Amino acid sequence: MTQASSLIVLEKVSKTYQLGKVEVRALKEVDFEVQEGEFVSVCGPSGSGKSTLLNLIGCIDTPTSGKVSILGKDVKEFSDAALSKMRNKIIGFIFQSFNLIPVLTAFENVEYPLVLQDMPKNTRVEKVATLMKEVGLADFGKHRPDELSGGQRQRVAIARALVTGPKLVLADEPTANLDSKTGIEILDLMQKMNEEHRTTFIFSTHDPKIEKYAKKIYAMVDGKLSL
Amino acid sequence: MKTVRLALRNIFRNKRRTAITFLAIISGSSAIIVFGGYVEFSYWGLRETVINTQFAHIQIYKKGYMEKGVTEPAKYLIKDPDSVEKAIAVFPNVKYMRMLSSRLSFSGLVSTGEKTIACWGIGVNPEKEKEMSYFESIIDGQQLTAEMQEEGVVGAELMKALGAKVGDNVTILTSTVAGVINAADIKVVGVAQTGTKEYDSVFIKLPIKFVRRMLNTESAEKILILLDKTEEVPTVVPLVQKIIDDKGLDLELQTWDKLADFYHKVVNLYEGIFNVMKVIIGIIVFFSIANTMSMSIFERTKEIGTLRAIGTTKWGITKLFLVEGVLIGILGGILGVLFGVLAAKVINLAGGIEISPPPGMTTSFVTMILVVPKVLLYSFFLTALVSVLSSLYPAIKASRLKIVDAIHYV
Repeated sequence: MTQASSLIVLEKVSKTYQLGKVEVRALKEVDFEVQEGEFVSVCGPSGSGKSTLLNLIGCIDTPTSGKVSILGKDVKEFSDAALSKMRNKIIGFIFQSFNLIPVLTAFENVEYPLVLQDMPKNTRVEKVATLMKEVGLADFGKHRPDELSGGQRQRVAIARALVTGPKLVLADEPTANLDSKTGIEILDLMQKMNEEHRTTFIFSTHDPKIEKYAKKIYAMVDGKLSL
Repeated sequence: MKTVRLALRNIFRNKRRTAITFLAIISGSSAIIVFGGYVEFSYWGLRETVINTQFAHIQIYKKGYMEKGVTEPAKYLIKDPDSVEKAIAVFPNVKYMRMLSSRLSFSGLVSTGEKTIACWGIGVNPEKEKEMSYFESIIDGQQLTAEMQEEGVVGAELMKALGAKVGDNVTILTSTVAGVINAADIKVVGVAQTGTKEYDSVFIKLPIKFVRRMLNTESAEKILILLDKTEEVPTVVPLVQKIIDDKGLDLELQTWDKLADFYHKVVNLYEGIFNVMKVIIGIIVFFSIANTMSMSIFERTKEIGTLRAIGTTKWGITKLFLVEGVLIGILGGILGVLFGVLAAKVINLAGGIEISPPPGMTTSFVTMILVVPKVLLYSFFLTALVSVLSSLYPAIKASRLKIVDAIHYV
């Protein structure tokens, strides 16, 4: 059922791309809907199209056919500047390899999305400090990424993803580069954020232990999605 | 400010690469400063030489001389040069004048009996012209003195052509202002070298009294003013003009730079060469920096994707790399100027560089590197501008990366 208040709606979305000389059909007419506040996992083996799905929702890629809507608006209508703004304010990203800016400290990494909004300094500092405490890294603000463990880096990434108060956080295999204990800690944190901030989380994984954290688990096989 | 801070940290991220980039900029900058300094020194040397040996700073003639004096020299002489000299000598705001003196010259022939060559006889007041005589190199014999009546100093190249020696008598042939041929003997007391070939091969310096007798006139052809510094010419010219106008004198004046044709030709030649050099250096520095920027951007592909994913616009990415380019340019430019000046000082302390005779000169000379603000500023702006331009294309390309490809780039 398509609800008027759906956060994300994908209608018959397909994505095909070139891998060298071979054409790969990553997504085949996928229908997908996510409401606000949900904690959703998309599971499947490597190459099943999970990342592609998340990329399209996050507007860092465009579908070959079909419609992607965020907050009821077709993302095709958005200019590049508008998409940038949306990625800054409404969507947060967490990546498998953390993707932190190496020349910035942990604090500055989390702060960056707010700097892009031209937010005044004291407001920024307050928000960043709050989030750093929530992810358990209050004392690590001045550390550079290469001085932090994998788990700590991912926590910074989570803080960065949440600092703008987005409606949606997309996590593409967030625990793939972490050991199982740390991975579980990260998922616990994400779950806590979802419950406290009411932020929607969609994460992809191929680890069965992780996928169980979600309230809704989708399976992705050969470009097709099912609950 | 955030962009500047981020840019600075990124520049010094890979210290070795940044050091090499700065090295390229510093080399280019130093080359421009040293060569530019050599060129400026050459200009200065040639300028002061022709001013102090031939033209002085300002020349005063009877009105009409500049236009018609060549064809009808007799009609355009200054009738009472002494009173004119007195009038000019009294400046309301006295600027230091090293010399104020009248001259009378003629074209004629000089003959040893065996050889006869065309010459340019310059009648001077040896006492008053002491300042200008200092600049001539007397390579044999001595300079003219006030007591001499029928003696002359001959140009080095002319002397060589005549095959004469100091102490010989030579005959001068010319015509008076009325057009009557006249001849007289003089004794050669000295051989002078000014360094300018075309001048040294024709001039004979004679006492003005002698020339006045030869031409049968008491007039002067021109009055020369030699100032303390060449830079003072533009301020002094209106002062002299005012005196001429106020006293209703029938005179006109000319500055040295309108007369120094050879000097301007040399300047044009050197400027041409220097410009080619600047372009070549600019191109080399350009590619050097473009290469560095491209490598840097390539290595940061994933980072660029991430910045875009968290909300940086395309222009934000372009701006980031442009600022890096500008900062490299400014920092490199400053370092380049510092090293360039250092190189110049080192060369000067080591005694300069020996240069073989330039076109039209007769002797080689030791050049120093003249550090001139104009050259320093030019070198700074050239390297800064090149840095910005060379970052432009890589920066725009970086902004156009597809986010999804960039983020997953390994």
